[in-house]
Amino acid sequence: MRHVVTVAGRDLRSMFLSPVAYGVLSLFSVLAGVFFVLNVAWFGSLVSRFQQFQAFDQLQQLNLNDHLIGEFYGSMSVVLLFLIPGITMGLYAAEKTNGTQELLLTSPLTVWDIVLGKFLAGAGFVALLVVVVGLFPALLFVYGDPELGRSASGLLGLMLVGWVYVVIGTFASSVTRSQVIAFLFSFVMLLCLLLLPAISDLGVAGGSGLGEGLRYLSTGDHFDRLVKGVVDTADLAYFAVMIGTFLVLTKAAVESVRWR
Amino acid sequence: MIEAKGLTKRYGDILAVDDVSFSVEKGEVVGFLGPNGAGKTTMMRILTGFLAPTDGTALIAGHDIFEESLEARRAIGYLPETLPLYPEMSVDSYLLYVATIKDVPRAKRREAVAHAAERCGLADVRSRVIGTLSKGYRQRVGIAQAIVHDPPVLILDEPTVGLDPLQIVEIRQLIAGLAAPARGEAQHTVILSTHILAEVEAICQRVILINEGRKAVDAPLSELTRDGRSLEALFARETARDLGVAGSPAE
Repeated sequence: MRHVVTVAGRDLRSMFLSPVAYGVLSLFSVLAGVFFVLNVAWFGSLVSRFQQFQAFDQLQQLNLNDHLIGEFYGSMSVVLLFLIPGITMGLYAAEKTNGTQELLLTSPLTVWDIVLGKFLAGAGFVALLVVVVGLFPALLFVYGDPELGRSASGLLGLMLVGWVYVVIGTFASSVTRSQVIAFLFSFVMLLCLLLLPAISDLGVAGGSGLGEGLRYLSTGDHFDRLVKGVVDTADLAYFAVMIGTFLVLTKAAVESVRWR
Repeated sequence: MIEAKGLTKRYGDILAVDDVSFSVEKGEVVGFLGPNGAGKTTMMRILTGFLAPTDGTALIAGHDIFEESLEARRAIGYLPETLPLYPEMSVDSYLLYVATIKDVPRAKRREAVAHAAERCGLADVRSRVIGTLSKGYRQRVGIAQAIVHDPPVLILDEPTVGLDPLQIVEIRQLIAGLAAPARGEAQHTVILSTHILAEVEAICQRVILINEGRKAVDAPLSELTRDGRSLEALFARETARDLGVAGSPAE
């Protein structure tokens, strides 16, 4: 495990030596700006509408955290779903086409060095994206008074959701040589993950334990609670289990090369 | 230095390597010879720990490739058939990365990189991006990454493939120099694979001829070429039977 950081450092540097990281970073920043402006405008329209109809009760309940920052985080979590596969698709697939997979697997590295290193590289990049997201609510602290704790726990939620997307993306990359297939595979898996609660709500699962199970598997509920400011160890455990499971699957996929 | 014991590798129904045993002494340069698809690359991938053998094992510098896999891999410098290069990195940062994952102590890494670059004639291109280098230079970078941690064992899979005649001569001199080093340099044990017979004659002391996954010949070069016999004839005799090449001796 000594070389986790070495592997992560190389992958992060390579992302910034190619246009991918800059492309994703700038696209993401633009989208964050657009969504923030939209959310602010929407919040403004809510305020003016409630004032117009003199709905003071509702006006009382409006707050920056629930009706602006939370919505904004939610939008950005969906944006992450589209962009993260672009970051993770090359992590393993490019090593295979470069031939560097052979270098990694014949070096005195353990498979965990490689798997954790690559996850760390992706996770580090997501942390950077989350910092970009965090800049926008920070503006609100200048002009209003959102709750710091809830703004921060929502950001934590966004980062954890991003990490789950990264770990699924690295798994997709580890099972194929083609970056295109890695992108599509992770994208489909992430969309399924996003749609699980909708499937559960349809009642197809029969409202039984299965429906509950589907909801639990999705990041949605866990993320929502963190955005609401509820930091529950059960939700943190969910993220840990998801990340751990896919890391183990990725390790198996990387190792399987030896046993072909 | 290298001891292979009953190595066998199956890909499904295909027997790629069939019960191959051999040993290589310190400082020897051994040529793996054989037609394309004979199992040379598979053999090398097993020795370097990239592939697990279906059966058998090997000792590299006294370390079992299963039991002490990390130690065995640390003792090996490996140039795979496909050069393991990151095209977006500079030569220097790439070699530094390889030195790091090969466990060269931090204090010695810069020196190790400079030394390997020097030996492979890369001194002038160290800050260049690998993707912009010519094929010959990339091949040198491939060899430099194999020797950067000064391993006792070098395994080179077709080190001169795709080079022009002048570059081939240079690379051969480099390899010969690695096995019979100047004073102060560590001596390397080298296994290289090729299907160029002249290459074997130029740098190898011993030949292991592999055909259809089996070891067909294992003898010193001097013995094989004694009395004016040629490697071509040997190669044809040992491999032609199965290929059905015209002019092969009738059985």
